[in-house]
Amino acid sequence: MKKYQLGEFEEIVMLTVGVLYDEAYGVSIKTEIESRLKRNVSVGALQTALKRLEEKGYLKPQDGERTEERAGRPKKYFRITALGKKAMEYSKETRESLWNAIPEVAWKLKMV
Amino acid sequence: MKRNQPKGPPELFISFFRWFCDPEIHQFIEGDLFELYDQRLEEKGKKKADLLFMKDVLQLFRPGIIGRKKNHYQTNFIDMFRNNFKIARRTLWKNKPSTIINMLGLTVGMTSCLMIALFVLHEVSFDKFQPNAKRIARVVMEYSMGRDGGVEEGTFTSTKVAPVFSRTFPEVEKGIRMNDASAILQLNNQPVLESNFLYADSTFFDAFYYEMIEGNPKTALNGPNKLILTESMAKKYFGDKDPIGQGMEVGEEKELFEITGIVKDYPKNSQFYFDFLASFSSLGANQEETYWNANYTTYLLLNSEEAFHSLPDKIDPFMKKESVEMGASVDFHLEHFDEVHLFSPHSDMVPNTSITYLYMLGAIAFLILVIVCSTYINLSTAKSVERAKEVGIRKVSGADQGQLFWQFIGESTLLTFLSLITSMALTYLLLPNFNDLIGKNLSASELIQPSFLIFTIGLTLIISIIAGSYPAMILSKFQPISILKGVFKKTNSAKWLQQSLTVFQFGISVFLIIATLVISGQLNFIQNQDLGYDREQIIALSIGWNKDNKQVSTFKKELKSHSQIINVSRAANSPVNIQSGYSMNLPTRPENEYISVNANPVDDEFIKVTGLELIAGQDFTENMIHLTENENWDDNEFNYILTENAAAKFGWSPDEAIGKRMILNQEGTVVGVIKNFHFQSLRNDLNPLVLFTSSWGSRLLVKVNGQDLPGTLAFIEEQWKKFMPDRPFSYRFLDEDYNRMYQSEMQLGKVMNIFATMAIILACLGLFGLSSYMIQQRLKEVSIRKVLGASTWQVLQMLSGNFVKLVLIAIVIATPLAYWVMHQWLEDFAFHISVPIWALLVATIATVGIAFTTAGIHGLKAAWSNPVKNLKSE
Repeated sequence: MKKYQLGEFEEIVMLTVGVLYDEAYGVSIKTEIESRLKRNVSVGALQTALKRLEEKGYLKPQDGERTEERAGRPKKYFRITALGKKAMEYSKETRESLWNAIPEVAWKLKMV
Repeated sequence: MKRNQPKGPPELFISFFRWFCDPEIHQFIEGDLFELYDQRLEEKGKKKADLLFMKDVLQLFRPGIIGRKKNHYQTNFIDMFRNNFKIARRTLWKNKPSTIINMLGLTVGMTSCLMIALFVLHEVSFDKFQPNAKRIARVVMEYSMGRDGGVEEGTFTSTKVAPVFSRTFPEVEKGIRMNDASAILQLNNQPVLESNFLYADSTFFDAFYYEMIEGNPKTALNGPNKLILTESMAKKYFGDKDPIGQGMEVGEEKELFEITGIVKDYPKNSQFYFDFLASFSSLGANQEETYWNANYTTYLLLNSEEAFHSLPDKIDPFMKKESVEMGASVDFHLEHFDEVHLFSPHSDMVPNTSITYLYMLGAIAFLILVIVCSTYINLSTAKSVERAKEVGIRKVSGADQGQLFWQFIGESTLLTFLSLITSMALTYLLLPNFNDLIGKNLSASELIQPSFLIFTIGLTLIISIIAGSYPAMILSKFQPISILKGVFKKTNSAKWLQQSLTVFQFGISVFLIIATLVISGQLNFIQNQDLGYDREQIIALSIGWNKDNKQVSTFKKELKSHSQIINVSRAANSPVNIQSGYSMNLPTRPENEYISVNANPVDDEFIKVTGLELIAGQDFTENMIHLTENENWDDNEFNYILTENAAAKFGWSPDEAIGKRMILNQEGTVVGVIKNFHFQSLRNDLNPLVLFTSSWGSRLLVKVNGQDLPGTLAFIEEQWKKFMPDRPFSYRFLDEDYNRMYQSEMQLGKVMNIFATMAIILACLGLFGLSSYMIQQRLKEVSIRKVLGASTWQVLQMLSGNFVKLVLIAIVIATPLAYWVMHQWLEDFAFHISVPIWALLVATIATVGIAFTTAGIHGLKAAWSNPVKNLKSE
């Protein structure tokens, strides 16, 4: 149960990494989230999340090329691991089961 | 790749980021940051990009990103440290002989250092407690009389200097005149001589700071006959009563002084020291007529430190103008108040300490430390063979060189700190003795002052690093493979260092031995030098300068009635030290061609008491003394006795001089000529001197037989009470006075004695330890040699010979150096011995002998040991 814990922001990051597939590294993840979800992402928050996900084993880092615009610093690409995929699926399943468990009546009830 | 400065993000934030970021992820994040920055730079401009960059960095400053450099595997530092500590303890315990030698050496060395440091700090602290110290000047008078007299210099100034200078020069804020005197005060109706009785101008407190418990510093010294007491004196004379407003009787005339203030007791490290402070105007001398009568010390409070540069240029022309009328040239220059004690050649109220004396002590302390450190280095490198295996095992188990290095440094630190604690205790215990030796009053409480503690701990750390680092370097460099295989030899550099350190140690010892011998030789010479007068068995009493001569004559007669008292003379100065300056001339010569000369007013028994040798003419008679008793000075008739060289100044032979007229203050007749004698320190040449008849003088010299001294003294005291009831009875012996003149040399002699002994003992300890280890390593060789038929003597020669060779080298280096240095020191005296060759020989033989015996003890042990025992196990 507990081993598949994913926070809300973490889940978004994981999903984005999935969306970007081969191109997922710091800046691209940040821009992707910002453009898709219209929310501001700070580098700090993103990096912390990435580090945590890496430690949990959901993401696998891979050193990338050093480009001039990065002042010669390497990129760190991320891939979703099998464990990561399980975690995402687990997260999705829990939500769906929760969705399904909501009785129809609940939607029909009008709040006064 | 290089980024252009103006284009890049703020440097400060980059470095900040690099500082805090976990090094593992740092590169990637930094890359991201730069990439983002470049994007924003294009989209939003530099300012916005910079701002956003800063925001990003700040937001990255959070747990998860922050990470210091960590080792991949964590070492338990505390356990490591405890282990090292334990090993150090065990090693020290296991090698007891070398530990004891090292610890003894370090303790002795550090104790002497601590004492010397206390002394030096005390001397350096002089006058520093005065907040205005930087802008106070002491005035030095420089004058020359006539053509013949050289330029004389001294801190004596007349009363005129202070008021004239503060009026003439805007740089001078205040002038303060002082006169250091002693006064007879009444304590419970008994006369007591108080020697720290200082007269000073009312401006005193403007320049100098003393905390007043009672009274107003601004007004306390205004007007004559005002007196300020220190707290402890107030207690002594008035107990718990309030002394303010009370009167105090001062002097033989019992002049009444009003007490106007009490100052808190203050530190003694000051160039003047008072228990009583009286207003200068009480002296009745504060007119300003002349630059002569220079009997006072003048201090000037300047408006700024810069005035030390500008003021002398103004004083010189001013004084040139002033001295035109005087027929002699008088000039003044300034000394920095806070440099007087260490740098001025003129001692005034409190004796100065020469900075060279401090340097010498410092050098001695340093040399002792060098010896001690050398011993440590020698012993540890000698022991290195034993510890090589430990190092090998440690290295194999993964210790790197740095760790081993610090382990061995730690060992030396442990040892030095243990020694430090012992030395602190030892210093505390020995400080009273040291104080006696150097004639100071250092307090042990200085030892635990924070600044002193920091100094000590710093010193200890430096010693442990100096002593420990070479052995540590050697030990930690060992190659584990060669050690554990068993082929291991000491490196050449270690051997070389060991030998040169031994040479160094013994060189220092030889140097100190020679220096000590020369100093004590010179002191001996001073004490046994025929001065031309007799200083044994003469008691000096202090009477009033103006005491009526008729009374004194009766007193003298009464004294002489005692069988043990041979002669009594009244004179101004004792023959030990006559400094008073006069000028002499002939009536036939031009007035301004006078010759400066020392002179002493004496009575008709001075020559009898002091045993001076008359070579022509006659002694003064009682009648001649009576001729000087007139109230009116001009009616007095004077007679003179010259020394040979004084007569020669006028071109007279001793016989020619008799009956000639000459002028000294006044015209008179020369009645006799005496042999030259040393009436000043042997540092000075034999100077000319004139004795002249007088009916005054503040000293009574009593020549006694010396058989029943206590009885004689009791008799003198009894008579004294009868004739001088208003003066306290106190006496001194002339030979003590004489020795006091050479106090600093005597102290130097004693100090050198102690430290030279210590240096040689320490050097021997070092050699003792070193030879024991070296010989142990050669035990097998010795045994084989014995088996093959070597005699004890041959073995001994082989073992000690090497050390003796080193000692000989040390002697060859140190002897000429010592000869040269001591020669310089002796040059300081006008009368001195030459560096005695026997001193060099004694030092050589003693050192070689000591070295041979020290090394020989172990050599003999090895030579006598049973070869079977040493060879049976391999």
